[in-house]
Amino acid sequence: MRWGTALSLFLLACTITAPARADQLVTDLSEYQIAIRSNFTGTQILLFGAVEARTPGSRAINRDIIVVVQGPVRPMTVRKKEPVGGIWVNHDSVTYPSVPGYYAIASTRPLEVTAPPETLKALRIGIENISPGTPIAESIDGNIQILPPEEETAFWKALIRNQRRDGLYFNLPGGVTFLGQTLFRATVDIPANVPVGLYTAKVYLLQEGQVIDTISSPLYIDKRGLERFIYRMAHSDPLLYGLVAVLVAAFAGWLASAIMGRR
Amino acid sequence: MQIYLPIAELPVSILTILAMGAAVGFLSGMFGIGGGFLMTPLLIFLGIPPAVAVGTQATQIVASSVTGALAHLARNSIDFKMGGVLLGGGMLGSLSGIYIFKLLSNIGQIDLAISVVYVLFLGVIGAMMMVESVQAIRAARGGATPKKRSGHHSWIHGLPLKMRFRRSKLYISVIPPILIGYFVGTLSAIMGVGGGFILIPAMIYILRMPTNVVIGTSFFQIVFVAALTGVMHAVENQAVDIVLAFLLVIGGVVGAQYGVRAAEKMPAEQLRALLAALLLLIGLRLGYELISPPEDLYSVTEVQVMK
Repeated sequence: MRWGTALSLFLLACTITAPARADQLVTDLSEYQIAIRSNFTGTQILLFGAVEARTPGSRAINRDIIVVVQGPVRPMTVRKKEPVGGIWVNHDSVTYPSVPGYYAIASTRPLEVTAPPETLKALRIGIENISPGTPIAESIDGNIQILPPEEETAFWKALIRNQRRDGLYFNLPGGVTFLGQTLFRATVDIPANVPVGLYTAKVYLLQEGQVIDTISSPLYIDKRGLERFIYRMAHSDPLLYGLVAVLVAAFAGWLASAIMGRR
Repeated sequence: MQIYLPIAELPVSILTILAMGAAVGFLSGMFGIGGGFLMTPLLIFLGIPPAVAVGTQATQIVASSVTGALAHLARNSIDFKMGGVLLGGGMLGSLSGIYIFKLLSNIGQIDLAISVVYVLFLGVIGAMMMVESVQAIRAARGGATPKKRSGHHSWIHGLPLKMRFRRSKLYISVIPPILIGYFVGTLSAIMGVGGGFILIPAMIYILRMPTNVVIGTSFFQIVFVAALTGVMHAVENQAVDIVLAFLLVIGGVVGAQYGVRAAEKMPAEQLRALLAALLLLIGLRLGYELISPPEDLYSVTEVQVMK
C-alpha cells in the first residue's frame, strides 16, 4: 500500500514537473508505406511536425530539429581492387555486419553548429557516426586478416562514398525548415534503388546543442502488386518460377517462328 | 517510360531495353548467332547485377534458339542423335557452370571471371574468323580457291565408344562431342551465352560435321542447355528477371526479322568479317576495362544471405 501511494505520488510529480522541464515534439509522416510498383522511379516523403512549448513565455532560441531516415541494416562487403599481373582484381575485402541500406539526415542548420561532435557521436547522428558493427577483414585467399586502423577506415570511407554516389546516403543541411515559431517540415528523397524493408524516421529536438525530445516513426517500403508477386514467387518457389520463365520464353520463340512462317 | 524490374531491383527505361533487344536481335538475325555475348555485357553496363544479367539472358536465349531450331526443323537440318550427345555433355556442363558461378560470386571474383572469359573467347574467335574471312575474300578476288583442309583421319578416330551419326554421315567416338558439349555448357552458364559461336566452329573443325546440319543441331542443343541454365539460375541465385526477359524477347524477335533480311543482301565472307570485327571490338573494350585503373578502387556488394 505504501509503495503504491509512493508510486502514484511520484507519477503525479512527474506529470507536474515534466512539462515545465522541456518542450515536446509532435510529428507525422506523409506516408507510412511506400509501394514499389512497376512504375516506381523513386519518391519523396514529407515529414512535418510542431514543437509544443510547455513553458509559457519561453522563446524559440537556438532551437534545432534533426531528421534521420534510416533503412534496414544488412551485412555489406567492401572490396578493394589491386593490379595483379596488369589486371585489376578484387583483392582485400572488409565485411560490415550491419550497414543501413539508406541513411538520410536533414537538419535546420549544418550539423557542426547544431550540436557538439561528442553529442552527435553518442547518439549516432550523422553519416560519419553510423556504427556498422565489428568488421571482418579478409585477404584474397579468404583468410581473415587484421588490417591497420587507417586502412580499415579507408574501406569504411569507400562504403560511404559509394552509397553517397548511389544517392542512398546524403545529408541536407537546411533541409528542415521552420514555418513560424513552432511548425517545421522536411522533404526527403527516396531514390528508385532503395532497398525494401522497415525504415525509421527519427526526429530530434535540440536546444542549445542538447537533445530535449525524440520521436521515432516507422516507414515501410515494400514491393506491391505484380512486382511483389514476381519477387515472392522467385524466392519462395524458385523452381516453378524458373520453369515458367523458360516456358514463356520458349512459347515466345515458337510464336515468333509461327508468325514468320505465315508471311 | 520507366519500368521497375522486380528482381534486378532498379528501374530501367522500357525503350532502352527494347532498343537493345532489337539491335542485338538484328545482329543475331544477320549473323545467325544467339547474341548473348553482346547482350550480357550491355546489361551489365546498364547496371544490372551480373548474376541477373546472365540468368535473364539464358531465358532470352531459349526464345531465340527455339525460333532458330524450328526453322531448321522445317528444313530437316538437325542431327538429333549428335544433338542429344552434345546435350548430355551440355547439361553436365551447365550444372558445373552454375556451381562455379556461385563459388566465384561468393569470393567476389565473378565480374572479373566473366570479363576475362569474354576477352579470351571474343579475342581468339574474333581473330580466327577475321583471318579466315580476309583470306576467303582475297581468294575470291584472286580467283584461287581457298585450301581445303586435309587429314580426315585425326586423333578423334582413335578414341573408343564409337557411334554412328547417320544425319552427319559420321562414325566417331562420343567422347569429343560430350566434352565439347560440357565445355560450351559450362561457358554458357558463366557467360550468359548460348555458345553457338564456340559450338559451331567446334562442330565443323573438330567433329567435321557437314555444314548444312551444324547450325540446326547447335540451335537444338542450345534450346535445352539454355533452358536448364535459366531454371538453375532461378533456383540457385534467384537471378532471373522475368520482366526484363520479356522486354528483351520482344525487342529481339522484331530485330531478328530485319537482321535476316539485311543478311540476304550481303556476301557471306564480308558478313563474317564484319562479325569478326564486332567480336574483336567488344573483346578489346572489355579488355581495356580490365587493365585500365578503375575510377574507384573500392566496390560495395551486399552479402548474399546463405540458404
